Amino acid sequence: MTSPILQPVVVLLAWTMFIWFWMYVTRIPAMQKAKIDIANLTGGTGGNLDGVLPDNIQWKAHNYNHLMAEPTIFYATTVILAIIGFGDGLNLYLAWAYVGFRIAHSLVQVTINRVMIRFMLFALSSLTLIALVVHAVIAVFHG
Amino acid sequence: MNILTPAAVLVLWSLIVLFWMAATRFPAMSKSGIDLKNAAPGGRGSDLEDQLPANVNWKSHNFTHLMESPTMFYAVIAILAISQAGDCINVGLAWGYTITRICHSIWQATVNKVSIRFLLFIVSTLFLLALAVRALLVTL
Repeated sequence: MTSPILQPVVVLLAWTMFIWFWMYVTRIPAMQKAKIDIANLTGGTGGNLDGVLPDNIQWKAHNYNHLMAEPTIFYATTVILAIIGFGDGLNLYLAWAYVGFRIAHSLVQVTINRVMIRFMLFALSSLTLIALVVHAVIAVFHG
Repeated sequence: MNILTPAAVLVLWSLIVLFWMAATRFPAMSKSGIDLKNAAPGGRGSDLEDQLPANVNWKSHNFTHLMESPTMFYAVIAILAISQAGDCINVGLAWGYTITRICHSIWQATVNKVSIRFLLFIVSTLFLLALAVRALLVTL
């Protein structure tokens, strides 16, 4: 047994892993270039590199963190819809739309990072997520 | 073995780190003269960054970290469980992720040398990547 809505979900998971790689292939050379003594570095978090590494390097990390934030609700919602057998039709299209907007949002944030465009993509992705949540609420309470 | 077990273990472990954070943070706060009753409204844990000793804040850094990449782990485990794909390989990979994350926690909360922490994070992420790819193959 599986549910079609799980397809966009795993695509977003795989995309997030791709951003993880993107973050490190740019961050590690930038840390070496900034003469950070990686071998003896103790404590600290990635956020300490804000203002130390070039902005466009940190944008990859900002987007990775962003992918750990709102999509957690997306995962919960889609798993709920899959378990109760509502993971197809309109819900499936909404889930694909959410994943499409999030991938576009990632590409904008890690490259040009114009906030207006980033915000619009985030707003669109959130609206599709709201629709999914509303469907899940209706399905759970009214079947 | 059930693929949901390593996920449940990681949830429980995250709660243990939450308690570890609280048990070290509150004494450190009172030691540095911070009075919660008179604190200004709106403060957050990260405001303590320069006020408490670094190794006290490391527990909190790790708790925050456990709220990040593991969210993908829970999603991928739920997908595999729903798809009834809890075979030996997937269960092994899931345990690999949970165990390396527990090692990562203990390291970050205590010694916290970044090169080793980074290595543990890499290994855990490779387990997660393998699970994500296998979930993709199951659902396509």
